[in-house]
Amino acid sequence: MTTTTTTTTTITIGLDSIVPFVGLFILFIVLGFYGKYWRRGDLNNVHEWALAGRKLGTALVFFLIGADIYTAYSFVAIPSGVFAKGSLYFFAIPYVALTFGVALVTMPRLWSLSKQKGYITASDFIKDRFGSTTLGILIAITGIVSLLPYIALQIVGMQSVLTVMLSGTSNPQTVEEISLLIAFVILAAFTYTSGLRGATLTAVFKDILIWITVIALIVIVPLSISGGFGTAFKDVKPTYVTLPNSLLAGYSTLVLGSALALYLYPHAINGVLSSESAHKLRMSTALLPLYGVGLAIMALMGILVYAVPSAMNFLSHFPESSRGILVVPSLILYTMPRWFSGIALLGIFIGGLVPAAIMAMSQASLLTRNIIKEIKPNMSAKSEIRITKISSTIFKFIALGFVFTIPATYAISLQLLGGILIVQILPAVFFGLYIKSLRKEPLIAGLLVGIFSGIFLVEYTNHFGALTSSLFNTTIFGSLYIAVIALVFNLIISFGGSAIMNRKERLAVIQNKK
Amino acid sequence: MKTQGLHILLAALIVIPSIVNLSVSLYNRKLPELFGMPFFYWFQTVWLALCSGFYIGFAHLMDGRVKKQEGEQTLNK
Repeated sequence: MTTTTTTTTTITIGLDSIVPFVGLFILFIVLGFYGKYWRRGDLNNVHEWALAGRKLGTALVFFLIGADIYTAYSFVAIPSGVFAKGSLYFFAIPYVALTFGVALVTMPRLWSLSKQKGYITASDFIKDRFGSTTLGILIAITGIVSLLPYIALQIVGMQSVLTVMLSGTSNPQTVEEISLLIAFVILAAFTYTSGLRGATLTAVFKDILIWITVIALIVIVPLSISGGFGTAFKDVKPTYVTLPNSLLAGYSTLVLGSALALYLYPHAINGVLSSESAHKLRMSTALLPLYGVGLAIMALMGILVYAVPSAMNFLSHFPESSRGILVVPSLILYTMPRWFSGIALLGIFIGGLVPAAIMAMSQASLLTRNIIKEIKPNMSAKSEIRITKISSTIFKFIALGFVFTIPATYAISLQLLGGILIVQILPAVFFGLYIKSLRKEPLIAGLLVGIFSGIFLVEYTNHFGALTSSLFNTTIFGSLYIAVIALVFNLIISFGGSAIMNRKERLAVIQNKK
Repeated sequence: MKTQGLHILLAALIVIPSIVNLSVSLYNRKLPELFGMPFFYWFQTVWLALCSGFYIGFAHLMDGRVKKQEGEQTLNK
C-alpha cells in the first residue's frame, strides 16, 4: 500500500469521490434558493433580507455565528500556521474560548439597543449614540475594508480543495479558476434572492458536513500513524511541542487581540442581531466555545501530517510556501475512503463559500445604509435593498479578483491585518455601550491613530515587504501582536481626550455660573 | 447586598476563564501527556469545554436577573 503511494506521485480523484462532491453541491444550491421560502417574509425589506427578520432561535444563531468560526481560517490558516511554525498558531484555541466571554458581556446589550431603535449595523448604533455621521462612516469603512482580506482567505480555502482534487489532471490551473467562478456565480445568485435566510440554511448544512469531517479526522488520522500522537510529537521540533519563552507574550497578545476583534467584524454583529431574543443569544454564545474543539482538532493536523508519509510525499510536489494550506485536504485524500473524501472535501469547499456570502452581505449593508444613504438620504426603501443586493454581489467578485492576483500565503497574512484594523473600532462600539463620558472627537482621533500606527508597525516589522509577521518586537515586553499595541494608543487617545474635554466643559460651566 | 454578591459572581464567571486563557505560562508545559499529546495541546482543548460551563452559568444568572428587573418594572408601573 505504501509502496504504491510513494511510486505514483499523486492520487487522481476518481468518480467515487466526485459523485458525492457534486451531488452534495447540488443539494447545497437547492437549499440556498429554497431559503427564500423558508419562514417567509418580505425580502424587499432590509430587516428581512439582512437579518432574516430577527427571528433566529438559539440553535440557528449557534450555527450562523459558528459559521464565522468554521471558515477557511480553521482548515487553512490555522493548520497551515501550525504546520509551518508550530505551537504559536495554537493561539486560535484560547482565542475562541475568550472571545465568547467578551461577546457575553457586550452583545446582549447591543442586541437590546438595536431591537429598540432599529439598528442593523454597528455603524447605525455609533451614529445615533455619538450623534456623529463622520464616526459612523469611518466605522463602516473600517468594517468593509477589514473584511476584504477575510473573504479572500475563504477563497484561498476553496482553492486548496480544488488544487488537491485537480492535481494529476492536465491543465489544473484553468479548471480551478473556472470552477471557482461557477461556484461564485451560484453563490451570488442565491444570496441575491434569499438573503440571510439562504445563508443560514446553507450554514447548517455546511456545519453538519464539517462536524462529520472533523470527527472522522480525529479518529482516522491518529489511527493511521503507528503509535498515534506520541509518534507524531516525538518527531517534530521542540517549538512544535511547547512555546519557546520568547513567544509567550506574542501568544497571549494574539489571543487577546483576536478575541477582542471577532465580535467587531460586521458579519459577526450581523449574526448577533438576527437573534430572536437576548436570552437565546446568551445561550447560543455560551455554547459556542464547543466549536473550538473542532478547531483544535484541525490545528493538530498541522503536526500529525508530518507522521503520514503518503500525505507528506504528496505535499512535496508543491512549492514550500503553499504546502501549509493543503495540509487538511491532502490528509482527507490520503487517509479516508474515496467516497468519504468527496463529502469531506465538499464540506471544506462550502466552508469557505458560506462565510464569504455572510461577510459580503454585511459589507453591502454597511455600504448602503451607512455610506451611500448618508450622501443620498432620500433613498427609497426599494432602491436601498436593490443597492444592498447588487453591492453584495460586487464585493464577492472583488474578493475573487483579489485571490486570482495575490498568492495564497500572502492572503493569509492579510487576514491578520484585517484583525489589526477592525479592533480599532472597539473603544466606540464596546465602551460606547456602557461608558457615558466618551466623546466623538477623541474617538475619531483614536480610531485614525490606531489604524495608521497599526499599518505602519506591520509594514515596519515586515521591512515594507511581503507580510509574513504580525508580531512587533518591543524591547521591554518582547514580541507583541500589533493589533494590541495599536489599540492601546487608540484607548489612551479616546479616554484621555474625552476626560480633557469633559473637564474643560465642567470648568466652563462653573465659570459661567460665576 | 444580595445584588452585589450576584454581580461579583457574574464577573467571576467571565474573569476566571479569561485569566486562565491569557496566562500562557500556566499551561506551556509538555507533561503530563494525554494519549501522547503534550499538556499544552490537550489542556487548552479541554479548557474550551470548561469555559462553556462558566459561560452557561453566566447566561443563566443574567437571565434570572433580567427577568427579576422586568418583574420589578411592571410592579412599579
